[in-house]
Amino acid sequence: MIASIARKEFVDAWRDGRFRLGAVLMALLFATASLLAWGQTERTRAERAAAAALERENWLEQGEKNSHSAGHYGVNVFKPVAPLSLFDRGIEPFVGTTLFLEAHRQNQAAFVPAQDATAMRRFGELTAAAGLQLLAPLLIVLLAFGAVAGERERGTLRQVLSLGVTGRSLALGKTLGLGLALATLLAPLGILGVFVLANSEVEASYGLWARAGGLALAYGLYLAAVLLGSVTVSALAPNGRSALAILLSLWAAACVIAPRLANDVVHEKLPTPLLAEFEKELSTDLQQGLDGHDPRTKQMEDFTQATLTKHGVARVEDLPFNFYGLAMLESERLASEVFDHHFGKLWDRIEEQDRAVALGGVAAPLLALRSASMALAGTDFTHHRHFAVAAEAHRREFVRVLNEDLMNNARPGDHGYVAGRALWEQLPEFKLAPLSAERALERAKLGLAILAAWVVATLVALVAASGRLRVDVA
Amino acid sequence: MLEALQLTKRFQERLAVDGLQLRVAPGEIYALLGPNGAGKTTTINMFLGFLAPDGGEAKVCGVSVAADPVGARRKLAYIPEQVALYPRFTGVENLDYFSALGGKSHTRAELYELLEGAGLPRAAAERRVGTYSKGMRQKVGIALALATGAKALLLDEPTSGLDPAASHEFSRLLRRLAKDGVAILMATHDLFRAREDASHVGILLGGKLVAEFTKDQLEGEDLEALYLEKLRA
Repeated sequence: MIASIARKEFVDAWRDGRFRLGAVLMALLFATASLLAWGQTERTRAERAAAAALERENWLEQGEKNSHSAGHYGVNVFKPVAPLSLFDRGIEPFVGTTLFLEAHRQNQAAFVPAQDATAMRRFGELTAAAGLQLLAPLLIVLLAFGAVAGERERGTLRQVLSLGVTGRSLALGKTLGLGLALATLLAPLGILGVFVLANSEVEASYGLWARAGGLALAYGLYLAAVLLGSVTVSALAPNGRSALAILLSLWAAACVIAPRLANDVVHEKLPTPLLAEFEKELSTDLQQGLDGHDPRTKQMEDFTQATLTKHGVARVEDLPFNFYGLAMLESERLASEVFDHHFGKLWDRIEEQDRAVALGGVAAPLLALRSASMALAGTDFTHHRHFAVAAEAHRREFVRVLNEDLMNNARPGDHGYVAGRALWEQLPEFKLAPLSAERALERAKLGLAILAAWVVATLVALVAASGRLRVDVA
Repeated sequence: MLEALQLTKRFQERLAVDGLQLRVAPGEIYALLGPNGAGKTTTINMFLGFLAPDGGEAKVCGVSVAADPVGARRKLAYIPEQVALYPRFTGVENLDYFSALGGKSHTRAELYELLEGAGLPRAAAERRVGTYSKGMRQKVGIALALATGAKALLLDEPTSGLDPAASHEFSRLLRRLAKDGVAILMATHDLFRAREDASHVGILLGGKLVAEFTKDQLEGEDLEALYLEKLRA
């Protein structure tokens, strides 16, 4: 019986001109979004690859100079484009794409794409993810608001129930049929996505298919919850007009108001420092030490004394190596502790904010979906942090090699020492190993769990509502 | 077989059906007459299980509606004043769907045959029902009763708004169903059709069955006069 109802609902949906129009618009939107995103991803990838090659050339061709001076000459590293960012760009437009690596300083990523965009960006980006997050639920609402309420209005509900059909069978059959209609609409787009991804150059460690599978699961759960919720409202509403009004209000609350409200509440409860405050605290701790009682100058004096004692000499000029190079290494070590402390605290707080927003998915499933989607696409803050941490590790290695060269190859007190291309070539190019799919799934776990809970909750609600299904007897 | 055993329904202080006792045996057509608000549709709703009685019991082919509403519905067919169909489906598709819900599966040829038997030609059966007249919709309802093989049929003002020819055709089909052993309970204002078709006529007034006649008892009597007399009493 459920199969008969599902089949009828599926056919009815496709015969509905509103659904067909919606389907065509959705298909056009997805195709356009995917093509634009694909073009942009490829362009960005090519631009960053070209910039990285030019940067390497500049580094190698910088000429002879003191190796510590080369540390100040610095290098730029570029954030690789996440393959699935063509589906969901996540925070990518709002975080820097380039990091300048130099001695003494851990910089933040610069060149935020949103800064280069026009004011039109405030209307949001056209991506497949945005379409599925915001527009697909609207299509479901339009498809499902009359599922049961429409039957009640038409009088067919009486007719159907008079045949011995239970409310539950009717509601479940309708949900299944509408779900199939929606799946049929989205299937070609999914196949297109698989084709594009199969033809993309992706590192195996990125775990493309595990991530894509996770995304399919997340969106499947989200749309299933929206569909089950919509049919539940349709079963409870006295008529189609009421059902539509309720569902549109819920859509606006969950998709428009909730994300903004969640961001505001989370920033209020879990604030991050202003950039100026952050820089000031960082600078203070670099000068005064993390405990505030052991200034950098004192630490360096103690270090100098300890080194002289260790080597049994009275002057740094008498050491068997260039003390300036060793002092730079020690200075970097001390600064690294401060950087790790401050950046770690900031990044932990941002991840805490992200988790809090994802938890807001308990009230509005879109928040849970966004969190899971960005994590799986590799465009969330955790992935950005992974880039920043890897770039910082590269910086430290790069500065270490240069300072050790100075320490070991420059004569004590020799300020005229220079190094050349042979040393520059020892420094490897920056290569970011992708964050593993396991880590991405770990990050997406909370969002996925909340979405699964939504499916269970809406299914229970549907079963309860349809069990009490009554016809008008007036 | 349809049985109402002291069937009672109260809406707040008002008794809509008051201890109704009636029985429709297989092959009988029982016409339930009465003014608006007499309790006819409430009675039908209690037989369908859409309303729970406050007293007494409704039974369909021996199955208590209160105890097993789904089981009782499985044994009957229902034709309301306006048969509700799915406008984006053809007549035959509607019949196919509804008979599947009633637990009966038919080939396409059988469905056309059932519709033709109910007076709906194949060309019409292949059209979407959005274009159907009320009479054509009622024919689909009759075809559904035939298709599900229901042992009991409930009708609520089935001929209201039908033109005389369509009404006559509908009566012919009802008599055919009765001949096949279906117990038919018809709530109606149509005294002419009640007189013509019914084997039994009951007059419901203020929820009470105030008079009951067999076809033989009505022989030579003016049903309209009897009805109006009961109303004035």
